Amino acid sequence: MKNILIIEDEILIQQSLKKLFERRGFIVDVSASGKLAIDYILNKNYDRIICDLMLQDISGFDVIEESKKRFSPSEIGSKFVIMTAYNSPQVLSRANAYQCKLLNKPFDNLEEALRIMTE
Amino acid sequence: MENQFYTSHQENSEQLVIYLDPEVKGDFEQSLPKNITYTDDEKAKIAIHKKANRLWAVFPDGSHCDFPYYQKNLLAIIQGLSAHFGKSDLSLSFDSFTKTAELTEKKLFSGASLSPEDNVKDLWDEIIKKVNVISAQSQSLRSLMEKLLEVPFLQNFQSSIVLIHLKGTTKAELLGTIWRSEKTQGLIEVKEFNTFFNSIKKSKIKSFLSDSFPNLELPFNGSFLAKEVISRKYSLVALVSRHDFLNYSKDEIDLFETCISLLQPHFERLIDQEYSDKRTSELRVCLKDFPLPLRISDNSTGTYFLNDLFQSELQEKDIFFNKKINKSFSIDLYDSDELRHYAFDLFHFQRISLLGELLNTLRHELSNPLFGLKLGSQLFSFMETSKDNKDLMSEIEKNITRCQAIIENFSNLYQVETETKPVAIKKVIDESITLSKSESREVRKSIHFLSGCDEIKVELPMIFMVQILFNLIVNASQSLKGLSSQKMITINIEADDKFVFVDVLDNGPGIPPEKQSELFKPFFTTKTQGTGLGLVLSRNLALKMGGNLEYLPNEQKGAHFRLTLPRP
Repeated sequence: MKNILIIEDEILIQQSLKKLFERRGFIVDVSASGKLAIDYILNKNYDRIICDLMLQDISGFDVIEESKKRFSPSEIGSKFVIMTAYNSPQVLSRANAYQCKLLNKPFDNLEEALRIMTE
Repeated sequence: MENQFYTSHQENSEQLVIYLDPEVKGDFEQSLPKNITYTDDEKAKIAIHKKANRLWAVFPDGSHCDFPYYQKNLLAIIQGLSAHFGKSDLSLSFDSFTKTAELTEKKLFSGASLSPEDNVKDLWDEIIKKVNVISAQSQSLRSLMEKLLEVPFLQNFQSSIVLIHLKGTTKAELLGTIWRSEKTQGLIEVKEFNTFFNSIKKSKIKSFLSDSFPNLELPFNGSFLAKEVISRKYSLVALVSRHDFLNYSKDEIDLFETCISLLQPHFERLIDQEYSDKRTSELRVCLKDFPLPLRISDNSTGTYFLNDLFQSELQEKDIFFNKKINKSFSIDLYDSDELRHYAFDLFHFQRISLLGELLNTLRHELSNPLFGLKLGSQLFSFMETSKDNKDLMSEIEKNITRCQAIIENFSNLYQVETETKPVAIKKVIDESITLSKSESREVRKSIHFLSGCDEIKVELPMIFMVQILFNLIVNASQSLKGLSSQKMITINIEADDKFVFVDVLDNGPGIPPEKQSELFKPFFTTKTQGTGLGLVLSRNLALKMGGNLEYLPNEQKGAHFRLTLPRP
């Protein structure tokens, strides 16, 4: 695993995560916009896509839906990690439907969260 | 049958001479007792006249009696005269006559069923009269049904029952009299009632057998007469029975139908009245529990009803006591302590829910930036930088964590929860102290749990308890302002089997005895900037939880409030 895309509109979170991953030797792209992120996903190759759900333009789920153009459902399940501060039952069930990992913001334990995101 | 009256007076040879009005003479030709002869002389000792539809009998002493005119009445008068005359030589008097005539009349009307030969038409006057009397006397459907059996041709019937279904209700009702005196009542499924009603309606003969309706469980056995009545508000079947298995004659059927038709407006009136009684009492129950102090007043009669919370017994002046509500009544909220309490309650809940919304928004809006800040500060721990910088960053991180915790706690606290979970009393007190920290910063707090009390759990809304204790601690802290000696709040917790007692004491100036009774009144405050609502709200919340909040006179200096909370 080498290439990571972080989709997060809170710049402080986005940049901090970027730096944390880069320190661990990953190559990181970032996007604050969902639409720009879709562009990246369809045209570049990422091993892992870390996606916030509440973006300014579209939702994280929309990004995943668009990614289906390129990836199979099982690829989506393994590539995407969803980050959210609102873990309502609806969000949980949708994330389960995509079979992808879900991380609650704020992280209870940073090291643990980083490990899950790069596994 | 009529001949039975003409048997016993033949030995008496003396003749009684009476004048008989030519109009009625024709009705009475064939059968006259042998001891009576007519005369056309109006001055006869005894005269029987017909005036309009009434019979007048005038006696030698000048007294007279009158009856509605029909053949049987005429027969009764003459028979009475004859019987009396046979037994006494004294001149006839009105009093002695009427006794005999009444007896005869009773025989005539109750002795036997009507036979086809009887002139039924003659009975109608009497029936109409009787129906009017009983309907005027009846104040309930039940008494009307009971009195129905007094109507002449029904006097040898045993049961009189009515089945009613008020439209829109789920059960039909049966009520009436059996065996002439026993009360009966019951409920019937609407389906059964409808089947019964339709059978009665479709039948041409209107004479039935109780066995034909096994599902109805009528309270007697035998044949019965029935008649249905329908109106906008109800369907009804009235029935009468002799408790035998004989068929009823055409005349009896006709008379019964006429009778019920005559009673229809009275059914309407009585059902209306009883139904509105029910409605009134239901309205009363609703209003009694309505959570705002309402006054219903009827300006025309001056009656009113207060759904007073603490005394809801019926009073003389109560509008529901005399069950009369005119159309002109008005409902208003009245000014009272309760209204104020409730208004504050409302005010309190509005404030809480507003605060809840606000906190939710704040939580959502702040949690992301705080998270960013935290990640950013954590980044420093991985960086090559001086120890001073790292310490500073770790301090920033700690503060961010605290902010997150506060936001989390606040929004949890102000969520209006419908379910209550068991919570340790210790946690409630800790939470209240944390929240009141800004006000009580300089005050020393000592908390004492009496043996094992810190383990005690209560099952009450956290938000209520914290709000009360928060108020008490803030009040105490404010009263301690300006105190030069060590400021001190003591919280003692003890419990018995039923309650937990939380005592909040301070070493401030306390409440002067003359003001203690004012403490829990709205707008009472000793502070320059208080609303005077805090303690009112707090006590209301405590009462709502089944507990209480009171001021205990303190032997030492300072205030002493006791919060009582029920244990699960």
